[in-house]
Amino acid sequence: MNSGEFSIPLIHNSVSIMTPFLLAGIGGLMTELAGMLNIALEGLILIGAFFSVIFAASTGSLFLGLLLGIMMTIFISWIFGAITLYLKANVFITGLATNLLAGGLTTVLSFHMFGTKGVLMFQDLPKLPSLKIPALHGIPVLGDILLGHNILVYFGWLIVVLAWVLIYKTPFGFRLRGTGSNPAAMTALGLKPINYQMAGILISGFTCGLAGAVLTLNLGAYVPNISSGRGWIALVVIYLGGKTPFGILGAAFIFGLAESFSNYAQGFMNIPADFILAFPYLITVVAMVVMSIIQHQKAD
Amino acid sequence: METYLRMQNITKTYSTTGMKANNEVEFEVRKGEIHALVGENGAGKTTLMKILYGIETADSGEIIFNGETVKINNPIAANNLGIGMVHQHFKLINEFTVAQNVVLGIEPKRRMLFFDNNKAVKSVAEVIEKNHFHVAPDKKISELSVGQMQQVEIIKMLYRKAELLILDEPTSVLTEQEIKRLFITLKELVRQGKTIIIITHKLDEVKDVSDRITVMRKGKTVAVKDTADVDQAEISRLMVGKSVVFDFDKSQDGCREPVLSLENVTIKKRRQERPLLDRVSFTSSTCEITGITGVAGNGLTELEDVIAGLRPVTGGKIYHNEEDVTNKSARELRDGGLAYVPTDRLRRGSSVETSVKENLILTSHHDFMKRGGVFDNDKIDNYSRGLISEYLIDGSVDDPIGTLSGGNIQKVILARELDGAKDFVLFSEPTWGLDVASSEFIYEKILEMRHRGTAVILISSNIDEILTLADTVLVMYRGRIVTKQPVTRELTREKIGEYMLGLKDDYRHTDDMKGDASEN
Repeated sequence: MNSGEFSIPLIHNSVSIMTPFLLAGIGGLMTELAGMLNIALEGLILIGAFFSVIFAASTGSLFLGLLLGIMMTIFISWIFGAITLYLKANVFITGLATNLLAGGLTTVLSFHMFGTKGVLMFQDLPKLPSLKIPALHGIPVLGDILLGHNILVYFGWLIVVLAWVLIYKTPFGFRLRGTGSNPAAMTALGLKPINYQMAGILISGFTCGLAGAVLTLNLGAYVPNISSGRGWIALVVIYLGGKTPFGILGAAFIFGLAESFSNYAQGFMNIPADFILAFPYLITVVAMVVMSIIQHQKAD
Repeated sequence: METYLRMQNITKTYSTTGMKANNEVEFEVRKGEIHALVGENGAGKTTLMKILYGIETADSGEIIFNGETVKINNPIAANNLGIGMVHQHFKLINEFTVAQNVVLGIEPKRRMLFFDNNKAVKSVAEVIEKNHFHVAPDKKISELSVGQMQQVEIIKMLYRKAELLILDEPTSVLTEQEIKRLFITLKELVRQGKTIIIITHKLDEVKDVSDRITVMRKGKTVAVKDTADVDQAEISRLMVGKSVVFDFDKSQDGCREPVLSLENVTIKKRRQERPLLDRVSFTSSTCEITGITGVAGNGLTELEDVIAGLRPVTGGKIYHNEEDVTNKSARELRDGGLAYVPTDRLRRGSSVETSVKENLILTSHHDFMKRGGVFDNDKIDNYSRGLISEYLIDGSVDDPIGTLSGGNIQKVILARELDGAKDFVLFSEPTWGLDVASSEFIYEKILEMRHRGTAVILISSNIDEILTLADTVLVMYRGRIVTKQPVTRELTREKIGEYMLGLKDDYRHTDDMKGDASEN
């Protein structure tokens, strides 16, 4: 096989795989801009993944599953936010608690409702519709890479654009960034920083719910701990993307590529499987080191 | 001119310290005037203005504004009434532009939804032009000078249609040029019909810019004057008030061996106009208390840090017993015999969440080890109990120090620092915020150190404290020592006050300033 045949499906796959990183990254960006490192992303993705697929299975509707799954995730993020902001708990501890809660809650409910702590298969769940525009499929390379994904992939791109507009073009975005930059400036003008921090947390609940739904609805199944570190990598994506929505799109693609490569390489190359599976995490470490070096040079 | 604002019977007690910051304060401002609110640090000026701007709430009293009794519970309510405040420390968002900072919270919108940056720039430009400010609305705050940042703060309030502007110590961070420009701006604003309250303790500025003066002292209004009717000396006298000097036995032991000498100690940062410390020289000797005083922001804090070994100097030398100790670490200085009772008791002087006994052995814990590197608890307990009874500390060895009263916390720090042989002791604001009984106890301990032959350096903004304890007084103004005098019965608060406020300066025309306290 020539390299084109290998790389186009690889990249096509990355575009799809990067979506959870992208969505969680955008959500985390909102709290980051409001001055809080949101380590609860991982748990929120898991909540979204679990509830969207079981709601979809029980209602028989992908749309309702998605909607209710996201609402559930927003609810959990509201609890996380309320404890952090109104009861003034340390955001790192509450974030950690949210992650532990997500793991426990999904396991308990899974066992209680389906009698297993293992994989939940939903055979008769409809597949996520994918975008097919026959006229555009003729475009070489680009058409092959960008088309034919499920609609949530495109919804993710839409969210990047919406986030950009929200952050840079609306009064809300200004206040959100003002909160992260100097909350005292907000207070002096009678604005309440806490409101914008809460908004940031709720938005991250929304995008993480969606990120989780992408994982399970695409698969038609729930696998325990299906988020498998994506929420943590999303934090890296935020920094690597320079804390801008389009930067996050780029950074998410790099991690999509890394994961996609590790999936492919298992079948093709004679590299130890452990090393290949560790590849996305190696990329994380390398990316953080590179970022740190660049920042130090900027500071000098 | 008519009365514009009247604050009546304002009382405010801070619950954390129990201090009465405002005690039945009366304050009245007329329309179209520049009114100077003056007083020493802690006189209650800023508290009064925070109450007016809705940041603090008064326990009692009322505010009558424009003929109506008003309740002001938050800054927005103040803004709606036409009252604006420019804080001493700027509240700006560095990565935003001038216009974005100004409109934050009341942003102009496009199609109901979007932030209209063009309109923001345009309307802020109008305010800038009308008031002759010199700042571009589309520049980022991080690109501005300090003077321009202050202009942005004023523009913020004018954009919110403020008619009464409060400026809290507006000149403290400005250069001479910027101060001149600010005063021109203020006079221009008054010409347009605005009213201005300016908080300050700089008397030359009060004379320059204000129409009337209200003087506050210890939470009370003590005088209201037309600026034209008073001279700086009288304002100074009103500000510092009468002396309350304790009478302690200061009989002389006669030993005066130099211990610590500072020679032309200077701290100057690059691109900074004025050094934080400017050629400070003095010698502290055995059996002597060297008192150093000044108004906040004139170098006392920096001097404290330098003597304690917590901040490097950029010029000059420090000698301890003729050994060069310039820029030695705090640890090295302590090993050499430094004891240090810092201004900030809770963060620098103690570790609030740990117990009294742990705080007592913080600097000497190596002496309390058993073999194998674990603490000998019985030894620590015995040692701590001894100090607790010697220093009359109201608390037990295992209490977290943070649960003790301010006076007892300070006694624990004193016990730790003064126990054992010391060469020299640095006290900084040792009785700040403490009750009379604790203060008196601390005074006795300071004098006891002197009798033991220790060299004592006492940094304090409390003139009475200096007059009570010190043998020699140095006054700092703008980072320089402006006078050195022996403390005698003839030396009064008023005289020191004049130096503190920059009215007098013994070394103004001396380029090579090489005085030495011990020679006085």
